[in-house]
Amino acid sequence: MASVVVRDVSLNFGAVEVLKSLNIEVEQGEFLVLLGPSGCGKSTLLNCIAGLLDVTDGQIFINGKNVTWEQPKDRGIGMVFQSYALYPQMSVEGNLSFGLKNQRLPADEIAERVKRASEILQIEPLLKRRPSALSGGQRQRVAIGRALVRDVDVFLFDEPLSNLDAKLRNELRVEIKRLHQKLANTMVYVTHDQIEAMTLADRIAVMRNGIIQQLDAPQAIYSRPVNRFVAGFIGSPGMNFLEGTIEGGATPRFNAGDTTIDTKGYEFADKPETGTKAVFGVRPEHVMLGEAARAMPYTSEVDIEIVEPMGSDTLAWTRLGGQNFTFRTDSEYAPKEGEKVLIGFDPARASLFDAHTDIRL
Amino acid sequence: MADTVETAVAAAGARPVERGRWERWLIAGIAGGVLLRLAMLLGLSVWFEELGTAGDWIVEGLPWLVLAFAGLSLIAVIANSASGFSLSGNRLRGHVVGWTIAALLLLVFDLLGPQFKPAVSVLGKPARIFIEFCGEHGLFLAAVCLLVAGALAASGSEKQLLSRPGIFERVWALNLTAKIAAVPMMLVALGVFTGGTVWTVVYSFTDSRLLPREKWVGLAQYDRLWGEDRWLISIENLLIYGVCSLVFSIVIGFLLAAMLDQKVRFENTFRTIFLYPFALSFIVTGLVWQWVLNPDFGIQGVVRSLGWETFTFDPLYNQDIVIYGILIAGLWQGTGLIMCLMLAGLRGIDEEIWKAARIDGIPMWKTYLFIVVPMMRPVFITTLVLIASGIVRVYDLVVAQTSGGPGIASEVPAKYVYDKMFLGQNLAQGFAASTMMLLSVLIVLIPWAYLEFGGKKRG
Ligand SMILES: Nc1ncnc2c1ncn2[C@@H]1O[C@H](COP(=O)(O)OP(=O)(O)OP(=O)(O)O)[C@@H](O)[C@H]1O
Ligand SMILES: [Mg+2]
Repeated sequence: MASVVVRDVSLNFGAVEVLKSLNIEVEQGEFLVLLGPSGCGKSTLLNCIAGLLDVTDGQIFINGKNVTWEQPKDRGIGMVFQSYALYPQMSVEGNLSFGLKNQRLPADEIAERVKRASEILQIEPLLKRRPSALSGGQRQRVAIGRALVRDVDVFLFDEPLSNLDAKLRNELRVEIKRLHQKLANTMVYVTHDQIEAMTLADRIAVMRNGIIQQLDAPQAIYSRPVNRFVAGFIGSPGMNFLEGTIEGGATPRFNAGDTTIDTKGYEFADKPETGTKAVFGVRPEHVMLGEAARAMPYTSEVDIEIVEPMGSDTLAWTRLGGQNFTFRTDSEYAPKEGEKVLIGFDPARASLFDAHTDIRL
Repeated sequence: MADTVETAVAAAGARPVERGRWERWLIAGIAGGVLLRLAMLLGLSVWFEELGTAGDWIVEGLPWLVLAFAGLSLIAVIANSASGFSLSGNRLRGHVVGWTIAALLLLVFDLLGPQFKPAVSVLGKPARIFIEFCGEHGLFLAAVCLLVAGALAASGSEKQLLSRPGIFERVWALNLTAKIAAVPMMLVALGVFTGGTVWTVVYSFTDSRLLPREKWVGLAQYDRLWGEDRWLISIENLLIYGVCSLVFSIVIGFLLAAMLDQKVRFENTFRTIFLYPFALSFIVTGLVWQWVLNPDFGIQGVVRSLGWETFTFDPLYNQDIVIYGILIAGLWQGTGLIMCLMLAGLRGIDEEIWKAARIDGIPMWKTYLFIVVPMMRPVFITTLVLIASGIVRVYDLVVAQTSGGPGIASEVPAKYVYDKMFLGQNLAQGFAASTMMLLSVLIVLIPWAYLEFGGKKRG
C-alpha cells in the first residue's frame, strides 16, 4: 500500500506557481529522495506533505487517510530540518520529550521512547546538555531523535546534512541509511546533493520548476535520463553534450561537425527521422582511453587540451566534432596536455535527446 | 651560539615570580600616589583640616609616602631582575629618555617658575596657569615621571623577546599611541560619570543650600528626607508607576509584536502608528493626555455629552488614582518602541523552529511562552534596561500633566530632586535624594550584574 500519496497538488504563492499539479506515490517503507536545483520547490513540496503549507489544489494521503486539511501533528509524520531547529533553551532530553509531554503521554512511556531513541542515535551521554553545547553532527542527531520519539510511520527530511562539513555529512549519511534499514519507515528526503540522493534513495524524484522530471531508481536515472536536464543534473563531472543531426536508417547515425557516431545498440524510443536536430550525451566516465578504447564501437583520435588531476582520477579536456568534450581516466595512465590519444565509447550507454524538446529519443 | 640562545630563553622564560609581584606593587604605588594627591586636591584634605599642622603634613606627605613605597618597589624589581640593569642596550631606551626629559622639564619649571613669570605673561593665560601648576605640583610629577622612567628601564633591560612582556611594559610602553589617544575619553568618562557621582554623594553630607559648601552635617539630610511626606509619596508613586509600567510595557509590547508577526496586512502602517508616540517628547505626550483626561473636554466630557450624565473618569483630579493617569500616558508613549524591539526579536527567530513546534503539536501560546520568549532573552534584557531607566527618570510627564498635583499626590523622586536643587535652593537635600535614587538603582543592578556576568565565568 502506498504510504504517502500526493495527488494533483498545486501550490501558488500569490501569483507565483511553485508546484504544478504534482503527483507522487511513495510506497510503504520506501526511501524517496526529492532532488533538484535550489528554488525548484522541493522544500515546498515537503512542507505540503507535512501540513506546514496549505495546498492550493489537490489532495495528500498518508497511510490511506486524506490528510489534506489535517494539522501537522495529526498526520503521523516526523520532520528534520536543515538548521536543526532545536529548542535552544531546553536540554536534549527536553527537546526530545517536549512534544510528547504536550500529547499528554504517561511519563514512563515518554521516558521509554526517549531512552530508545537516544540508544539508537547514540546520544545518551548528551541528554543533559543544551543544544548550544553540541557539535553540528550531534545537534542533527538530536533533531532526528525528536522525529524518532514521535513513533510515526513517515519521516520527512529537509536537507538535514547541508549544514555539516563533508566528513560529518558522510558519516551521518550512512547513519541515516542504517536507521532506515532498522526502522523500515517511509522516508522522504530533500536534498540538492546528488551523492546523497544516489546513495540513500530507493527512488529519486528529480524536480525542476515545481515539476517532477523523472521518478525512478537511482541507477535508471543515471543511465537512462528522460531529458537533457536530468542528464546534466545527475553525474559529476557532468555529461558531455554534442550537438548535431540524426541521419536515419536501420541504425541511425549522429553527425556532429567532422565526426559521425554510429548508434548501434542504442535503444530508441522512436526511430528518429533524418535531419532531426539532436544532442548526443556521453558520461565522462564511460569514455575509454588507449588500448581499452580500441574495443569500443566508436573511436576517435583527439588532442588533449587541459588535464585536471583530482586525486583518484583525472579529468581530461579535449574536443570532439569541434565541441568541448571531457573524459575521466585513471590518474596513473593520465595523458599529458598536448598529447594525441585514442578515445572510444559505446553508444549503447549514451543518451540522445531531441535538440528542441530536450526529450530522450 | 646555541648556548647563548638557550640562556636567553631561560632568562626570558623564567621571569622570577618575585619580580612580577614587585612590578605590580610598583604600578599600584605610582597610581596610588597620584590618585591620593588628586583626591587631596579635590577635597579629601577637608577631613584632615581639624588636625592643624599635623593635618597639613598628612595632606602633603601621604602621597609622597606612597610614591616612596613605589620607589622601593622599583629597587626590588631591579634587584630581582635576571639580566640586571642596563641603559645602553635598553630595548625601551626611547621611552626611558622621554620620561626622563619630562621629569627634568617639570623640575625646571618647578624651580625656575617665578623667573619665567614676566616672559610668560606675554604668552597669555594658559601659559600662566601651566607655570603655576608646575610650581605647585612639578616636583611631585617629576618624581612620578622618574619612577616610570626607572621602571621602563628595568623592563627594557630584559631580553624578553621570547616571553610575554612584564606588566609594566604592557601598561606603559606597548601601544602607547593608542593609549594616549584614549586618555581624553577616559578623563571625560571618569570626570563626568564617576567624578560627578562622587561629588554629589559627598555634598549630600553637607548643609549646602543655594551653593555647595563644605559644612558637614552627617546624615542629617537623609533624616530629613525620609521624614518628609513628599519624598515618601514620591517613592510610593515611583514604585507603583515602575511596577505597572514594567509589566504592562512588556506584556502589551510583546502582544502587539506577536500580533504583527502573524503576517498581518498593513504591518508597516500599524508599526508606524504604534511607534509614532515615541517621536513625541514627554512634554507633548503629557499635554495631550492632560486634555484627553480632562473631565470637561476629554473622555468624561464626551461620554457625558452622549447621555451618561453620571459617568466619571477623571484620574488626574483624583488623588488616589492620579499616578495611573500618568501611567496611561507613559504607556501610550513607550510601548511602541518596546513593540518594535520585540518584533525585531521575533523576526530573528528561525522559521524552522516554528515549523518544528507545529509538527510536535505544541500550541501557539506554548511555543511563544516556552520556546520563543526564552530565545528572546537578549531582547528582553534590552527592553528591561530601557524601561527601567525611563521609570527612574520620569519627570517631564508629571510636570506636563499634573505638576505633582493634586496636592502632592503625583510627585516623583526626579521631580523632588529638581525642585529641591533648583527651586527650593536646598542643594544638599536634592543631592541626598539623588543619592538615594542612585542607591536604589545599584541595589537592583548589582545583583543582576552578578548573576548575569559573574555566573558565566563559573559555569
Ligand atoms: N513564502 C514564500 N513566498 C513566495 N515565494 C516563496 C515562498 N517560499 C518559497 N517561495 C518560492 O518558491 C520556490 C521554491 O522554494 P523552495 O523553498 O521549495 O525551494 P527549494 O527547492 O527547497 O530550494 P533550496 O534547495 O534552496 O532549499 C522558490 O522560487 C521560492 O522563491
Ligand atoms: Mg529548501
